[in-house]
Amino acid sequence: MKHSTLRRRLLVSGAFALAVTGSAGGAWAQADKPLRLGFSMARTGMLANATPSQLNTYELWKEQVNARGGMSVGGVKRKVEFVIYDDQSKPDQAVRIYEKLITDDKVDLLLAPWGTPFHIAIAPVLEKFKFPLVGNTAASVSLRQVKPGYIWFPTSAIPDRIGVELTAFLKTQNVKSVVVLANILPFTKEIKNHLEPELKKAGIDIKLSSEYPPDIKDMTALLTQAKQANVDAVLALAYPSDSVLYAKQAKELGLNVPFQFVAIGPSDAFFPKAVGPTAAEGVLTVAHWSPRPDWAGSQAFYDTYVKKYGEDPDFLNSALAWMSLQILETAVAKDGLDKEKIRNTISKTTFDTINGQVRFDGVQNAITPTAFVQYQKGKLQIVWPPSIATGKYEPKKSW
Amino acid sequence: MIDTLLSGQLLFAALVTGSLYALTALGLNLVYGTMRVLNVAHGDLVMVGAYAAFWAFTLWGLSPLVAAPVVAAIGAALGYAVYRGIFQRLLAAGASHAGRIEGNSLLLFFGLSILVQNIAALAFTPNNRAYSYLGEVVRIGNVSMTGNRLAALAIAGATCIAVALFLRRSVAGLAMRAVIERREAAYIVGVDVDRVQWASFAIGFASAALAGVLLSMLEQFSPFSGFPFTIAGFIVIILGGLGNVMAGLLAALLLGVIETYGVALTSANLRSVLLYGCFVGALLLFPNGLFSRRRVWG
Repeated sequence: MKHSTLRRRLLVSGAFALAVTGSAGGAWAQADKPLRLGFSMARTGMLANATPSQLNTYELWKEQVNARGGMSVGGVKRKVEFVIYDDQSKPDQAVRIYEKLITDDKVDLLLAPWGTPFHIAIAPVLEKFKFPLVGNTAASVSLRQVKPGYIWFPTSAIPDRIGVELTAFLKTQNVKSVVVLANILPFTKEIKNHLEPELKKAGIDIKLSSEYPPDIKDMTALLTQAKQANVDAVLALAYPSDSVLYAKQAKELGLNVPFQFVAIGPSDAFFPKAVGPTAAEGVLTVAHWSPRPDWAGSQAFYDTYVKKYGEDPDFLNSALAWMSLQILETAVAKDGLDKEKIRNTISKTTFDTINGQVRFDGVQNAITPTAFVQYQKGKLQIVWPPSIATGKYEPKKSW
Repeated sequence: MIDTLLSGQLLFAALVTGSLYALTALGLNLVYGTMRVLNVAHGDLVMVGAYAAFWAFTLWGLSPLVAAPVVAAIGAALGYAVYRGIFQRLLAAGASHAGRIEGNSLLLFFGLSILVQNIAALAFTPNNRAYSYLGEVVRIGNVSMTGNRLAALAIAGATCIAVALFLRRSVAGLAMRAVIERREAAYIVGVDVDRVQWASFAIGFASAALAGVLLSMLEQFSPFSGFPFTIAGFIVIILGGLGNVMAGLLAALLLGVIETYGVALTSANLRSVLLYGCFVGALLLFPNGLFSRRRVWG
């Protein structure tokens, strides 16, 4: 009697143990467990207003991936969930978050935070834990100093390239003289430092070159001087907040120069809302994406984004975020979650993205050309370089 | 160069900047003056006012000029509620706590500021918001003015003048000034200090909300763009003399002038150097404020 109870107990527990180990080891059950993707994002603090176009893109992607059954992990589809932390607009906070995501939350994959300083700050963490991450919203010549291996930067909007390409563009438009106004924040300052020598080399006369601080509240004095300089092009190397200030005050003062380049800001949907559609028309800015028939999925991305959020994606940041997700998705579909294999694949493969083909040479995108877009009938069209143009440059008529 | 300096264009720019500084600082100064509490959430109220105007415009197509008095009234009600809900008891605690009130109020307002920012971020997302209203350029003489900047100048200027007249001419305004200048004496002569205090809170919050409405026509904003307005307000009221409302208005105009003419004469890069340089200089030479009657050297 006693003996048989013991045996029965043994049998039951044995069967239970088998069931547990069996299910844990089975591919079926793993597919049932969602894939966890972690990242930090500035949700609060002074940079929070710049991040929604990137976060929205991540959310849109998650929705679409889950709607089609999940993300392919070496052929097995798994639903995706996000582990998001607020880095409060502080790069050092992002460093701690990525360490925590890797060691404590043990996420399966990582997505990029917003902005250049954040990418640079977390690069050593990725290196330390040998965890690959496809960057997106980072652009600086200093990215080239990041040790290649576990992070990649798909943008082609690198300041020295912008200097060369913008000068070439100005030459084709027969621009003889320019005014350069630069915000002293890192990205625009870098553009200025690389642009001005190129302009001089090309024989373009810089009639006025002025820098201004990020907290500038009024540009009347600056723009009055710019107007008096009577030039063919104004190159306003602005950040989002002063891009609006520039456009509004250029309109007020009647700074009617045909070639109006405004570095950062106009690629985001708030710009035409802030300055009005007529003022936005004809403004040129930095971006290397626009829906284009040759780039598979680019129109679909645009349409679904507009449908979900009721406004245009940021032609720079949203497009970059989507590209980074496409690259990661392709690599994981092929290699599963093996970090070294993913790293190898990202380093060596040529990827098809909504921005055309992308291949990395070290940390940098070796294919996508540096480009400029222009508002034409309320839509941003690529007008430079001609190889990927979706529209023809038109001089700005008035504000 | 001389033409630029003498043209009305710079004067207009200086007046627009100055009048908005004045309106922002006005409420901060009244609340500080009457209660010696520093509202570090003042800029966040400006931000809330901007959102109110933005939603009224985008959802219902309501002109910000129409929304302005409504938003200001809501701001006043909010000020009254915050006073009754939080500060009345704190201030009534009596003179034995007087030293602690400033510190406590700073913490309270700091908390309020964080709350307001994050609720706004949750409710409205941290997106940059902006709309375009009265964007047409008006030319008067050889000065071109964007409609919305002209409107902002007119409303901010009129409000500041109205409050100044109220303080100078009306009995209630006199009571308010009495509390600002000699709080204990005001008690003794029978001023209803409680009423003066809630009225200052109401006017303070209303003017911040109004400043927000006006700013929303001029620039884009997000839940975190309030802080710079708090700082601007502080500079103005410290420059003018804490609690000295009239001097605050003049100091705001002075800052507007430094910001436009200073930049025109030197370089835009020196904007902060000029602003803070004047600020520090004024503090060293006139510790009681630029327009104070009591000079240190007597």
